[in-house]
Amino acid sequence: MRLATPLWVLAPALVLVPVFGLLPGLSHGGGWELIGQFAWAAVTPSLDPLVLGSALQGLGVTVGIALLGWAASLVLGLVLGLLSSRTVWRTLSGNAWPAEVIRRLLALPRAIHELLWGLLLLALLGLKPAVAIAAIAIPYGALVARMTSDLLDALPTRQLEALRAAGAGPIGALLTALGPPLMPQVISYGGYRLECALRSATLLGVFGLGGLGAELRLTLQSLNFRELWSGLWLLLAVMLSLEGLLGALRQRWAMPQRFVLSQGGVGRRGREMVLAGVALVPLLVGVARVLEVDPLALVQPHPLPPAPPVDWAGVAALPWPSLITNTLVLTLTAAALAVGGAPLLLLAVRPWGWGRVLVQLLWALGRLWPPPLTALLLLFVVQPGVLTGALALAFHNLGILGRLLLEASEAGGDRAGRTPAEQALEASGSGARLALLYGRYSSVASSYLAYGAYRADVILRESVVVGLVGATGLGSQLLEALSSFAWDQIAALVLAYAGLTLLGEDLSDRIRQRLLAQQHTGSSATSAIPGSPAADALPA
Amino acid sequence: MSGPAVLELEAIRVAGRRAPRLDGVTLRLAAGERVALIGPSGAGKSTMLGVANGLISPEQGTVRWRGEPPARAGSGRRRRQQARIGTLWQDLRLIDELSVQQNINAARLASWGWPRALLNLLLPMDSAACAQLLSRLDLDPALLSQPVSALSGGQRQRVALARLLRQEPLLLLADEPLASLDPRLADELLTLLLLEAKAPRALLLSLHRPDLLSDFDRVVGLRAGRIVFDAPPGAIDPSMLQALYAGATAAPAGAA
Repeated sequence: MRLATPLWVLAPALVLVPVFGLLPGLSHGGGWELIGQFAWAAVTPSLDPLVLGSALQGLGVTVGIALLGWAASLVLGLVLGLLSSRTVWRTLSGNAWPAEVIRRLLALPRAIHELLWGLLLLALLGLKPAVAIAAIAIPYGALVARMTSDLLDALPTRQLEALRAAGAGPIGALLTALGPPLMPQVISYGGYRLECALRSATLLGVFGLGGLGAELRLTLQSLNFRELWSGLWLLLAVMLSLEGLLGALRQRWAMPQRFVLSQGGVGRRGREMVLAGVALVPLLVGVARVLEVDPLALVQPHPLPPAPPVDWAGVAALPWPSLITNTLVLTLTAAALAVGGAPLLLLAVRPWGWGRVLVQLLWALGRLWPPPLTALLLLFVVQPGVLTGALALAFHNLGILGRLLLEASEAGGDRAGRTPAEQALEASGSGARLALLYGRYSSVASSYLAYGAYRADVILRESVVVGLVGATGLGSQLLEALSSFAWDQIAALVLAYAGLTLLGEDLSDRIRQRLLAQQHTGSSATSAIPGSPAADALPA
Repeated sequence: MSGPAVLELEAIRVAGRRAPRLDGVTLRLAAGERVALIGPSGAGKSTMLGVANGLISPEQGTVRWRGEPPARAGSGRRRRQQARIGTLWQDLRLIDELSVQQNINAARLASWGWPRALLNLLLPMDSAACAQLLSRLDLDPALLSQPVSALSGGQRQRVALARLLRQEPLLLLADEPLASLDPRLADELLTLLLLEAKAPRALLLSLHRPDLLSDFDRVVGLRAGRIVFDAPPGAIDPSMLQALYAGATAAPAGAA
């Protein structure tokens, strides 16, 4: 017996069996009424001008933090990316080892989730607008750097060598030969990062670093669901318009939708791009003014409470094996639920046109609704624990994976998104669901799963954000250590986290490469999940 | 014309971006009839086949399959209607990631429920029937377990034909199945298709090779969305072909 390709896409959803088996034992049934109220509030949000005004103000701060953090991460990432590129070092100095060293060093900031950066900086510097911005800029910058250097080193160097042989200086030759093919990809990727930054800024707010997130959490905890939904719908509107705008720009500028160099037509309307870039500068300066961001604040630590004495025995006495096991179980469960859930949902609603719209709305909510809040909501009806955290993370990542699956699987299709093979099956009388399973999932399977492997790695990093609901492994232990300023424990836990993430990254890299190699041996047209060399750093 | 109608198109009109893609097309295929559809590129041959297999719904005119109008899209009755219409696609539309056997069995999805459809993705199903089809088409039954992507062009063509036959259709439609084949393979495939298209079946096949028309019962000439002639191959003379292809950008070999 051998699982055929389309089944691989659904196989991760098998985790639903144990999950549904365990849930009844964990539920305490008390809060279904609250869940009902919460759902009802979605269609009856508060329209009180006071509520809307404060939500709008929070939203402004969140968007501002996202914009500034994103811009800073791009600048930081481009510079570091050039510095960690083998091609650049070889051209400038003749040998490439410094690139390798810088690349290794950048793995650490990348392995630490933006929330952890935020909480660490918050503990060190106190609450300042610059803290949230730096929390986004540091890990994002390291991600953009990796992306940039991967892209740069994957470019063919023949033109570069030709220019050098003709006597061009190193910097001029690099700019001329590698700049044009690099820019569209960097811009396209940069756009994705802005979408991620908005989600991260919302999340940081939930933990009190400024913006709408705090209000979402307060209204949830005080059961003011109608006020909560006012803010949520506004946020959803902003996120969907941002995604729409960036999608339209990518199309208008003929940017790569996936991270493959396509021939011809990449990067049209250069002047418009430059203008858009220039227009961003005053906008960013204005936003920084309004938010009263002071970059210097980042080098002025605030007085710390007296640290408890360092106690390495206490650190060693932490229940490491169970912390790590819980973290891994949490990650794998969430990843399997999200990776298998998206194609399963799509399959379930396939025959109905409105079903797709509904699922897309659900996924959009999942993308923007911070996982710790889902976890808090779940606590109304289930007990805290690994499964609760996994469900919360799964819902969030389902939104991200689902959108990618839909985009990728509909890329080569007709108006309803059907691929040619799917049309052929429907024309021979097969039902819409089976046609989707056979005709469409077959061709997206390997690239979708390759992306799923990358996503699992992101989820591992993200598992800290559901630490709030307790008993979820390293994440909850770390949040506890942070709140009691136990720096010895914090250091050990952060290092454990980073080590685990780096191991996971290596593992998921291998899985992804195997999956993609499989795809390239097949003669089928590759589908559009961003899964090729550098796609690893997609939306975090 | 004898025999019950397998396909009836009446005054079909399909709008296009500039000119209509089909404009008042009427055609009747009786059981046992084998009809060739010729015409320059862009004449509307693929559109006509799309209307015939239900993928395109015309703005005007009526379609009848074995005397019945198409049922509502997505309904069970429509699926049963579609199950009797088999299309051989120009690009074959095989599923590269699946094995030959799974591809051939995909033709049964119309009648199979979920359990069998899923089992087909796990285990070799109906091996005897699939092997028999392959031998009938001069293919080695050992190919059944191979992935489709590992086959040669000629083998893929026959697997697509095997899938078509496994569907047990009454109306056979083929959109330029010979276009990408060398002359020998094209001859063989056409012979196989003509052989399979006996009453109660009927065949409508579009092609670009005026030299291969002699074995058909009727030849329909299509130009700019209209039927120019509909006659037995014996009644087609070179001047009619010349008029059909006149001014077309890519005149096929032997058309002049």
